[in-house]
Amino acid sequence: MTKKITTSIVLGIMCFALTLGIFVQMKTVKNTNMAVSQNYEENELRAEVLKYKEKYDNKFKELEKAEKELEEQRRISTENNDELAKKEEEIKAGNKIIGLDEVTGPGITITLSDSKLDINSVLDPNSLIVHDGDILSVINELKNAGAEAISINDQRMVPTTGIICGGNIIDINKEKVGAPFEIKAIGLPEQLAGLNRPGGYLNKLKEEYSIGVELKKSNSITIPKYTGVLTYKYATNMN
Amino acid sequence: MKEKLKKGKVTMIIIAGLVCFVLVLVMSMQFKIINETDITSIENMRETELRTELANWKQKYEEANTKYEETKNMIDEYKETDKSNNETEEVINNELNQINMSLGKTDVHGSGIEVILKDTQNEEIPKINADDLLVIVNALKLAGAEAISINDERIINMSDIVDVDSYIKVNGNRILSPYIIKAIGNQTYLESQLVGNGGYVDDLKKSEYDVEIQKNDNVEILKYNGEIKTKYIE
Repeated sequence: MTKKITTSIVLGIMCFALTLGIFVQMKTVKNTNMAVSQNYEENELRAEVLKYKEKYDNKFKELEKAEKELEEQRRISTENNDELAKKEEEIKAGNKIIGLDEVTGPGITITLSDSKLDINSVLDPNSLIVHDGDILSVINELKNAGAEAISINDQRMVPTTGIICGGNIIDINKEKVGAPFEIKAIGLPEQLAGLNRPGGYLNKLKEEYSIGVELKKSNSITIPKYTGVLTYKYATNMN
Repeated sequence: MKEKLKKGKVTMIIIAGLVCFVLVLVMSMQFKIINETDITSIENMRETELRTELANWKQKYEEANTKYEETKNMIDEYKETDKSNNETEEVINNELNQINMSLGKTDVHGSGIEVILKDTQNEEIPKINADDLLVIVNALKLAGAEAISINDERIINMSDIVDVDSYIKVNGNRILSPYIIKAIGNQTYLESQLVGNGGYVDDLKKSEYDVEIQKNDNVEILKYNGEIKTKYIE
């Protein structure tokens, strides 16, 4: 008889524990339910983003084709007149400077990578990663050293290019790029390589923040063109 | 009597076993649901980011589309003027004007803002330096500025802003306080990139710098006053 009671009690406790477990889980599921319905909206958003990205890509391809056609038409229209042909050359040269055309030339490649130091070994883990301000400073020094064209992870620097941090990725030309950052610059390689000098910004990144810095000179660097368009809604030429 | 008791015991064990089995089954089912929802709720945190991303691509698409129409029109204009040099010259001048505008080789005007920074007499406040100006120019570009100048030095694609001795040089030319940064673009965007949470002008103000922003419906920005030369790009 005592045996029967013991069995009953054990069974009772087991049932109670299991039921309790189920209740806890029920509650959790109820809480996450909200997340599930919001998630549906998110998937819609995600699909919409992809749709517009594809639309843009297609339009950009069309635009590239039209630009080639325009270049050809411009050449045909100006070939019989020296003065017009000179202007045609000026347009082509201008497009290279503002970043609307691919360029090649001698220069350097700088690679910046996040520090390999253990996060726990430093006071401020933030100091171990490459920031937007770091890239902004390096770009400014490159321009100071006479760089004629610059790209960061193949994002061409155009007159309207801004650089901003978004978590551990950086936004350049509204495109997201992540470490390591490969900065290409065309100009006199010896002069550009001066960025490596003691006391320069690259040196500071390397010595003080143990950021990975690599600088390579090259006789031929190709920098791609801008993958967006330059439009003017507010500014007009003054006559 | 013994038989009956045994039978009852067996039934009880079977029932208890069944109940336990069902309960465990329900529990494991729920575990699965929770597992699935856990993954998605992490993605859920990115909704605002997705919205920005969507607005971003929509804008890029619109711009590409406008540019495409413009390019097509230009091709047609060249074709129409195929035989006349005078008309062709007009078309090519239009095209050249646009590129010169991006290069910074033309004076431009339009609505925008002016940021005015002055060094103060208070010696505890550091002087404005090149990095301050660099950060403001970058913020203005992020806000879609179409043309920028600092003390009439036009910011072009190759412009640098550096400290040399105790002066600031822009485009290799020395500039002095007060620093007037002019920008053409959407006034609200331009201003909001500099003020409010994390805005650089607000940060400077908090540190008691002498800085102000003025909206202007007709900002005039002068052209780059040098020759834009390149030697290495092909």
